[in-house]
Amino acid sequence: MCTWRRLAAILLLASACATPARAQITVSGDATATIGSRDDIAFFNYTDYEHNALRMFRVALSGMWRPSERLAFLTELRSENAEHLVPRALYVRVHPFKGRTFDVQAGRIPPVFGAFARRSYGADANPLIGYPLAYQYLTSLRPDAIPGSADDLLFMRARGWQSSFPVGITTPGPGVPIVSAYRWDTGVEAHAAAGHLDGSIALTTGTLANPRVDDDNGGRQIAGRVGWTPAVGLVLGASASRGEFLTRAIGDTYAPLLGRKTYAQRALGADAEYSRDYFLIRGEFIESSWNLPALNLPRIDGPLKARAGFVEGRYRLTPRFFAAARIDRLTFSKIRGQRFFAGAPTPWDAPVRRMEAGGGVYLMRNLVSRVVVQRNKRDAGRVTRRTFVSAQLSYWF
Amino acid sequence: MRFPILCILCALGLTSASVHATAGKPSATGAIRGRVDIHVERSLRDSRADAAALGMGGSRDPQERRRSVVYLETAPRAAFEQNEEHRGRMDQRNERFVPHVLAIVAGTYVDFPNGDNTYHNVFSLSKTKDFNLGRYAAGRSKAVRFERPGVVRVFCDIHSHMSAFILVFAHRFFAVTDEEGRYRIEGVPPGTYTVVLWNETVHGDSPRRTITIGENGGDTDADFSIK
Repeated sequence: MCTWRRLAAILLLASACATPARAQITVSGDATATIGSRDDIAFFNYTDYEHNALRMFRVALSGMWRPSERLAFLTELRSENAEHLVPRALYVRVHPFKGRTFDVQAGRIPPVFGAFARRSYGADANPLIGYPLAYQYLTSLRPDAIPGSADDLLFMRARGWQSSFPVGITTPGPGVPIVSAYRWDTGVEAHAAAGHLDGSIALTTGTLANPRVDDDNGGRQIAGRVGWTPAVGLVLGASASRGEFLTRAIGDTYAPLLGRKTYAQRALGADAEYSRDYFLIRGEFIESSWNLPALNLPRIDGPLKARAGFVEGRYRLTPRFFAAARIDRLTFSKIRGQRFFAGAPTPWDAPVRRMEAGGGVYLMRNLVSRVVVQRNKRDAGRVTRRTFVSAQLSYWF
Repeated sequence: MRFPILCILCALGLTSASVHATAGKPSATGAIRGRVDIHVERSLRDSRADAAALGMGGSRDPQERRRSVVYLETAPRAAFEQNEEHRGRMDQRNERFVPHVLAIVAGTYVDFPNGDNTYHNVFSLSKTKDFNLGRYAAGRSKAVRFERPGVVRVFCDIHSHMSAFILVFAHRFFAVTDEEGRYRIEGVPPGTYTVVLWNETVHGDSPRRTITIGENGGDTDADFSIK
């Protein structure tokens, strides 16, 4: 039995001793229908479930059973495009000390890194329709396949939606984003708050880019975030994570050969939010690096880095109408190939810029309609510029 | 929820002609009193199941779902002839609106002071009154004037579990029940009236009773029971 499962069992037993309170069951959910133009060539908005984020029907159902004041079981089931029902969240929450903000959660748990992936309520959760690049855009990296050389990686620039490499699983498949907002990881986490500070730390099976239910490499990810609220309305956060990225098959094969024992994804993040009266501004910056085995010439020297940052804002024009916009950028560190770009230093994936703007109207308190225009520009690929218009109807209860 | 709103709006649209009060002749006023027994289990949907949260959050007082409003469906004409400016108050405290149910006369200003150490954003999309006060911090307050009779549902744009009701009446003959479900409507002129009960857990027909205040005034009982 792995560590987090043992811990979950201990926590459950401890909670059984807690004073039983009146059991409470809470059920909520949301349904979101998004209509937009197709994106079958550029794949700017494809998610790691291979769905277009601007053209999707999503249903989510959440449930919480709270048998005592100190114990709760939570789940969230999601279905995208009516294909399959996925338990995005399934965990136990233990609140051991009454009167203190300290909780432990174990199972398929919400991410602690960054801020975007935990947003959940109303139009604030995502004021627009598209996701930030850091949380959605698929880079060409895969945990189950690696490039043999720098040229192999450069050949896959702008092809994250269907990348393929000669080592590992050679069939084409989707790459990974820096942080997946569509899947949650499995493990155990603790969260505490006191005064203006709060902190979270999590030990999980997968990584930010590749959250998992089952273990595929024997490694663990440790991630944490510290938040500071110096004034009401202003939240500053700093996050960090490190987790084994490559699958066991690749790691075991090449680690002895190359002397390196771990091939990890490391990430640092900073997030900020300020709101007042009718406006809300948020921003996040994330730098992620991946260590891959350097196999053949031309070798990939050093870790592959990706940097992403976005700033978004929302303004409530009237009780019903709001306007929102986001500026987004994703860049990559440079490597040298031989066959491509004449050996000049070149970003290992194609940098992307995105601007999204639009507005929405609350038809009811829990029925929101949005229309956005999203403009994308990428430095490589079959299609380098695409503009999408998308409309969304979102209902929650 | 729609039916009670319509009830109130329709009722308040009626004139005093349907009230058998004696006009122009001075007489003692009476009081309508009673008790509202609620046998409905407390709603289990106190908040959303927020699977994205990192903890239970702070402990909160339970919603005051047992509070009801008892009002006269039709009121004496004199009840509409008042020009005083009224002021009400709905606090935001421990991530709750306090009181959960507020009953006011049309034209009343309601203050919404923020007593928490976090932002709140009070808003309503109700047809009776839509407003959005924006985000403001602890110690600050904003006010809204409610001109039209009806039911106004109030929410916080930041905290999904915060909600409240404001019932706006065109007359002053209403009362909010106390913790034990008791109410008392004072100063009712002699006549025959329909007394209506509003409670957020009642869907469909609102419970009502017909009572008569005699020429000598006095107390008249009207109890209600919600099952």
